[in-house]
Amino acid sequence: MANTETCLKEALASIEGATGVALVDYTSGMALGTMGGSKTFDLNVAAAGNTDVVRAKMRTMEHLGLKGEIEDILITLSDQYHLIRLISGRGGNGLFLYLVLDAKRSNLAMARHQLKRIEQDLEV
Amino acid sequence: MTVVDLPPPLPVRDKATAVERAWGGVSPMLTRLAAERATGVLVREGGALHLDGGLVTYAESPLALGLDALLTAHGTVRGEVWREALSRADEHRGVARFLLSGGHLAEGALQLCHLAALYDAAYFALAPSSTPGRFRYGVGHRLGAVVPVPVAALERETLRRRDLLHRIWPDPRPDQAPLVRTRTAAAPRLTGRQQSLLDRIDGTRTAADLARELGRQAFHTLVDVRRLAAAGLIAPRPSPEPPSPPTAPGAASAAYGVPGPVPPPPGAAGLPPPGLADPPPPDIAERLAHTTDPHITLLKRLRDALEAL
Repeated sequence: MANTETCLKEALASIEGATGVALVDYTSGMALGTMGGSKTFDLNVAAAGNTDVVRAKMRTMEHLGLKGEIEDILITLSDQYHLIRLISGRGGNGLFLYLVLDAKRSNLAMARHQLKRIEQDLEV
Repeated sequence: MTVVDLPPPLPVRDKATAVERAWGGVSPMLTRLAAERATGVLVREGGALHLDGGLVTYAESPLALGLDALLTAHGTVRGEVWREALSRADEHRGVARFLLSGGHLAEGALQLCHLAALYDAAYFALAPSSTPGRFRYGVGHRLGAVVPVPVAALERETLRRRDLLHRIWPDPRPDQAPLVRTRTAAAPRLTGRQQSLLDRIDGTRTAADLARELGRQAFHTLVDVRRLAAAGLIAPRPSPEPPSPPTAPGAASAAYGVPGPVPPPPGAAGLPPPGLADPPPPDIAERLAHTTDPHITLLKRLRDALEAL
């Protein structure tokens, strides 16, 4: 596996329309690595906040008794897509990749596919 | 006609930076060491931080699992491989180099595990303390530089973690005390991780013991413990014996709820710090220990500085 920084760099460079990417530990909400973002878009804040999104969805699934695993979560804004891809680490420690896309420049199906490939590269 | 000499204007503190400093002031000493790009180890009450050129390269705390335990607990690295790497490491080539060059571990996995262990131990090492920290100048940690972390980032994350725990459940007692299970009418569904934690609660184990047994990060265990406490499923064990008056100087630190291997008896939390006429009630003492109020952090820093004289 490549190192974290290389993986995030690749995500930002190879995924069309990507403006920011973060690798997040969802128990603590800490971003273990970020790439991109801007002064007005703090990826660390986004990472912590989206942890609650993932947790809420997991809890709901448990209440419903759904056995499936979450692969990814898509949030569509008027001008952005936010894509969350869950990674289950070997230590049972949950991580997720968080990707911000510019809606006008991106190809959603392609982005999902590429994010999946990057997750495989990470194999944490 | 008299000439009035106007006194020179009083120096005005820049409010923005003052607030920032008080909030970021997890450890003023650490901030100073970062500024002077120091190399060595900062020993505080709750643990130690290793610095190299002003960046934090490793953190350890008796309450948190080390990188070795996190790596070996789930079979990421075999125990004998780690011990061999440790025995071959010297000050020029750290343990990390041997693990990577031997192909025992991928670089990314090591980085993530190292970051997790570092932030985990630093949370406890940077807990509010009643005694000033000591710094030993010297060489970097034996692990070698994996991902050095800037002090500002570490302090920011530590404060965020404190805030996260406080939002889940504002009572910090379950963090240190032995835990007992409690009955609740409407138990929520638990995640697998929470269930395995709950199954091991027997009235003697503390959160740190559970983290060690399960091979999990200690802060992550605290998150689960506070969630279970908020759900009414567990509680800190009430102390059976009556509180005894403190004789050791360390008792004052117990009054401030500093995490330590021995949980303070509930009575000790209400004992007055020396020189205070009225002891604050236990709940206030606890709130003081975990406050991020800039005035109170300032007072604590002042007290630390005076004690260091």
